[in-house]
Amino acid sequence: MGHLDQIPTSILAALIALLAPLLAFLLSACAGKRIKSGIPATLAMVISLFAAIFVFSKVWEGETIHQQISWFSIGTNEFKVGIVLNNLSAVMLVLVCAIGLPVHVYSSIYMKGDLGIHRYWMYLSLFCFAMLGLVVADGLLLMYMCWELVGFASYLLIGFWFTKAAAAKANKKAFLINRIGDLGFLIGMAIIYAQFQTFDLLTLFGDQGTVKLAVANTWLTYAGIAFFLGAMAKSAQFPFHIWLPDAMEGPTAVSSLLHAATMVAAGVFMLVRISPLFDANVLLLIASIGAFTAFMAATIALTQQDLKKILAFSTISQLGFMMVAIGIGQFGVAIFHLITHAFFKCLLFLSAGAVIHEMHHLKEKHKLDIDAQDLRNMGGLRRYMPWTYRLTVVAALALAGLPLTAGYLSKDAILIYAFEWSEWHSGFWKVIPISLLITSALTAFYIARLVFKVFFGKLRLNRLFRKQFHVHEAPKGMLYPMVFLAIGSLFFLYSYNPLIFEDSWLLTGFGITESLQRVNIYHTVVPAAVNGLSIVVIFIAWRWYARRKYPIRKLSGVWYQFSEKQWYGNSVYELVMVRGVLWLSYVLYAVDRLVVDTAVNCAATIVRGLGDLSRWLDRYIVDALVNGLGSLSFKFGGILRGPTKGRIQYYMLSMFVVLLVVLLLGLRFF
Amino acid sequence: MITLGHLLTVSALLFSIGLYAVLAKKNAILILVGIEFMINAAVLNLVAFGRYDAAFYGGQTFALFAIVLAAAAVAVALAIILNVYRHFKSIDPDDINDLKD
Repeated sequence: MGHLDQIPTSILAALIALLAPLLAFLLSACAGKRIKSGIPATLAMVISLFAAIFVFSKVWEGETIHQQISWFSIGTNEFKVGIVLNNLSAVMLVLVCAIGLPVHVYSSIYMKGDLGIHRYWMYLSLFCFAMLGLVVADGLLLMYMCWELVGFASYLLIGFWFTKAAAAKANKKAFLINRIGDLGFLIGMAIIYAQFQTFDLLTLFGDQGTVKLAVANTWLTYAGIAFFLGAMAKSAQFPFHIWLPDAMEGPTAVSSLLHAATMVAAGVFMLVRISPLFDANVLLLIASIGAFTAFMAATIALTQQDLKKILAFSTISQLGFMMVAIGIGQFGVAIFHLITHAFFKCLLFLSAGAVIHEMHHLKEKHKLDIDAQDLRNMGGLRRYMPWTYRLTVVAALALAGLPLTAGYLSKDAILIYAFEWSEWHSGFWKVIPISLLITSALTAFYIARLVFKVFFGKLRLNRLFRKQFHVHEAPKGMLYPMVFLAIGSLFFLYSYNPLIFEDSWLLTGFGITESLQRVNIYHTVVPAAVNGLSIVVIFIAWRWYARRKYPIRKLSGVWYQFSEKQWYGNSVYELVMVRGVLWLSYVLYAVDRLVVDTAVNCAATIVRGLGDLSRWLDRYIVDALVNGLGSLSFKFGGILRGPTKGRIQYYMLSMFVVLLVVLLLGLRFF
Repeated sequence: MITLGHLLTVSALLFSIGLYAVLAKKNAILILVGIEFMINAAVLNLVAFGRYDAAFYGGQTFALFAIVLAAAAVAVALAIILNVYRHFKSIDPDDINDLKD
């Protein structure tokens, strides 16, 4: 990198967007408890947002801009670090800031009065910085560092209320599971470096990148699987999904950020970034795992009673959709769904946060012993919180994928492409689009259940405590960011035609126009089928939950339990991993005690014996010899000096005699 | 005529007397006198051989230095003897044997 005037303005803007949250983080870190307000962090997000929009306007549909400097070199290999701006990073840059800003604003109300608020802002800024860095990184190495930083920041935020045992456990779990994924990333990176001797994303995965030109190679398949492992952990895919529901222990605003734009998006983003790497087998694996995860999480979400848990499983399910989009080769669609999902899922979480916030107030005010997040305590909130209700409905419709919303566009895109894709594969693979279809019906059901249970009917607390409670509307400072997100959840930001996703500018920006034609019947049938199903399902949910005609009397049924216990995922982990590790460590402990310790102790005893022996030798043989000689000559000397002891004149006489003798001898012989 | 031989003979006699006094006397003052005898024997030798250095009179000059040094040595030695007497109440060298082991 040369002088300042040689750097393109878009790179500078990206640097500003990147450094603003970092500065806010450093400021908070240095100031500690003195900065309690979120103004620096929020201001940083505002700056980042403007810078990101500027970058976007410069970069979108334009040339890829790449700027790098030499970082360090090992031997003759030089490592570079820099920023790459293309459609993907520009749109993600805007997304992260656009989700981050409302969350910051919302947090300033939601977290007011918390004792650790100064830490909160610090972590939040770090989180945003890490994600922005991940997005604009131009090499796998820098990306990996940001990837780790995202994981670490999420660890801090999930465990924000670390005095709660559950939160401390949850962040540990999230961190450990993410470590497995990080290992995958690392292995993938190592394979890539071994194969191509570079970490540079453009060199590797660009249009003329080495990966595209490389011959198919088993190592590349392994690398693809390793990278996918990383994405599985980060984006909570089966079997690494178990950390995400537990991560709900963090503040709700954090959950919304984590679920929308930063943490879980990282996995999907990374896969899209390195997409040329995947060959057909890896893609098939991605699609299968995605579809399975989507289905599994949706079934779990059906029966959860915790407001945030439902949303958590919904996120896992939607991430499964994105994985399927990647698996069928529609990377642009995956990003499209990532973006729309970010908006409506963030909104859902913020509304849930508002509800929990108000329920919590109620709990504190009346000193009730209730769980503020439990659906069974809510109901009828429509009358008390009309705005929250309306915004939630917008987000819920987007999640269910009904027309006029953003979710409709992206989700239908995935479904249609999945059906198209299955045409090219053997009959068995029809299972993926069909499972997605079922999953989207389930999605409509669980989100409708949530809305009906929370906002319809009557407040259940009134009946539980035989008392009239009153819930307030959320404060304005929380509602405004939600309105902003609600706008992002509607269709007009993405396409002028609310019914046809093919017109979306986001998709054309990712250059897959040739398959965007409405080539076959799926483009008409699938949206109709999805929406028909969704409407039927929502109607059923309305009858069950709003009209209280609940058909299932017995909640202990096998299937119900299976769903409520989250497919026993945690139990299996407990049984296989935790117990397994414990058992293994017991075995290792025994081996350690019996074999290693014994060996070490034997060796120690032998060495001690040897030491004793040499001490004896030293003392009674070597020392005795030296001392014996010393005392012998001492005694001899004593005999010799005998009578002349201490008489100086005798000394002198003898000196004189000796001198005389020497002189005489000298005269005689020389 | 007094030759070098005469001078050396006198010097040797003086030295022997001094040596005898140093080795045999039981009085520290007399030992000191013996030392003076020996120094003076050496000075006499210097003067005797000084005749061979007629240009610079090195022997005579050196003799003067030796006499001055001897005087200084006497002063120091007498002071030591005085202190020894204060400490041991005796100036017999046989009684002064505290340095033996």
